[in-house]
Amino acid sequence: MLALLAAVVLLAGCNGGTVDRHALTNDAATIDSINCEGWLLARAVARGRTTSYYAREQAEELHLQAANFADALGRRATAQGLQRRVRAKARDAEQLAGRLQRLHDHPTDRLVARVLARQLKRAGNCS
Amino acid sequence: MSKVFSLALGILAAIGGFVDIGDLVFNTAAGATFGYQLMWVIPIGVVGIIVYSEMSGRVAAVSGKAVFDAVRERTGFTVGLSALLASEVVNLLTLAAEIGGVAIALQLLSGLPYRLLLVLAVAGLAVVIWTIKLDWIERLFGYGGLCLVVFAVAAVKLEPDWGKVGNGFIPHIAQNNTLLYLYFVIGLLGAAMTPYEVYFYSSGGIEDRWSAKDIGLNRANAFVGYGLGGFLSLALMIVGGAVFLRHGINPEHLGTTALGAEEPLGKIGLLLALVGILFAVGGASIDTVFSGAYNVAQFFGWEWGRYRNPSGAPRFALSWLVLFVLALAIVMTGVDPVMLTEYAVIFSAVALPLTYIPILLVANDPEYMGRFTNGRLANTLGVVYLVVIMIIATTAIPLMILTNVGQN
Repeated sequence: MLALLAAVVLLAGCNGGTVDRHALTNDAATIDSINCEGWLLARAVARGRTTSYYAREQAEELHLQAANFADALGRRATAQGLQRRVRAKARDAEQLAGRLQRLHDHPTDRLVARVLARQLKRAGNCS
Repeated sequence: MSKVFSLALGILAAIGGFVDIGDLVFNTAAGATFGYQLMWVIPIGVVGIIVYSEMSGRVAAVSGKAVFDAVRERTGFTVGLSALLASEVVNLLTLAAEIGGVAIALQLLSGLPYRLLLVLAVAGLAVVIWTIKLDWIERLFGYGGLCLVVFAVAAVKLEPDWGKVGNGFIPHIAQNNTLLYLYFVIGLLGAAMTPYEVYFYSSGGIEDRWSAKDIGLNRANAFVGYGLGGFLSLALMIVGGAVFLRHGINPEHLGTTALGAEEPLGKIGLLLALVGILFAVGGASIDTVFSGAYNVAQFFGWEWGRYRNPSGAPRFALSWLVLFVLALAIVMTGVDPVMLTEYAVIFSAVALPLTYIPILLVANDPEYMGRFTNGRLANTLGVVYLVVIMIIATTAIPLMILTNVGQN
């Protein structure tokens, strides 16, 4: 059971190799998803509909996720012809991480949250 | 009258206690990925857990044997030991995930550091088990978990397309992303039919000194408690579809689930969701740690029981303490509890036959059950679900690998 578990973790969790078209599409979708969740969170802060602890901790979780993407997409090898797009996505993720860090630092500032909500919504094409 | 009252209290506790971190993660993610298309899986999973819980409760009431007594007696030492090891690995993974969930909920409520809260959570749960009577533990966590009803209110307030919700109850296979869809089918069934629930349920029956005259109570508990608990799972999936799918969000954090209640209900919805999650995963942690200790104690023939003082069942008490320490060590490494939950649910799906086959065999054995052996309906459902369980067990890991743990 333990050996099976270890094998599955290795097989299922291997996504640190070359970024191909499929991986890029998935990563881009996840970055959009983080943007949209950040937008909902910032909007809740702007409307005074959340607690400061929740806003701060959830923004931190999302920030870490975005920062990991920025780091990975900025360094990982890419399939031929994809490097420019992958690096551009890394910059998007970095910008997203920065916005979420700002939300984390100002979890009760409605004005900052309103600006961030607008930026995050636009960046993630959220509906 | 007091029996009716006691039944009502038991059912309320069961509703609040049904949902655990696996249900929270898989139901919300399924809604966020496929909208209402997977609603049909929940009733199938709930009927499955009702069928086997009722059976195991009846076996406990009539024969006085809990699940792992039966496993040991029916399968022999070697096969029984394999079943024990598999169930303990799955239990430990589940327990670690639930403890991580408790710490995350506490962190979102208090803002304190996650690792500190992990230690406090384990210490707090151990103190609760050590000092509070079991009836009160069940009530405390069951009623606290009832705060999750906020998701049902949120689901209604979000005004989903009820026609689409209704269509979701018709079993079908999605045309696009079929593998991911099947992965969620397996995950939802695995989360609904988690083996620890059956271990806990049957051992609880013995601890409550059920006898043949309690078979009606056993049925009522299983049918109504799990049935209404499944209602919360449906609500979570509707919220997943109405909030997260609509906004293009793939919920990868436990805290995101609570955001689904904030969207329609504001701060009060958010707080109720967080408190509900805290009590639901806290209660599930206790169920899981007891299940692990029950299994070991029953298999090796030790004294066991939550109603006994630790000095009356020292190896049982030591077992749950060791399980807590091991689970704490796992989550302290920094592994993501949500990821751990997905592995725990999928691996529990693999271990399902080892739990359910012995129950079905014993429930049909007149030597154990006398005139209370399975009737035609229980056997038909038992066999049908056994086939379902075998399919789940053989496809769970390939689907997990092919979909990159549901990441597609």
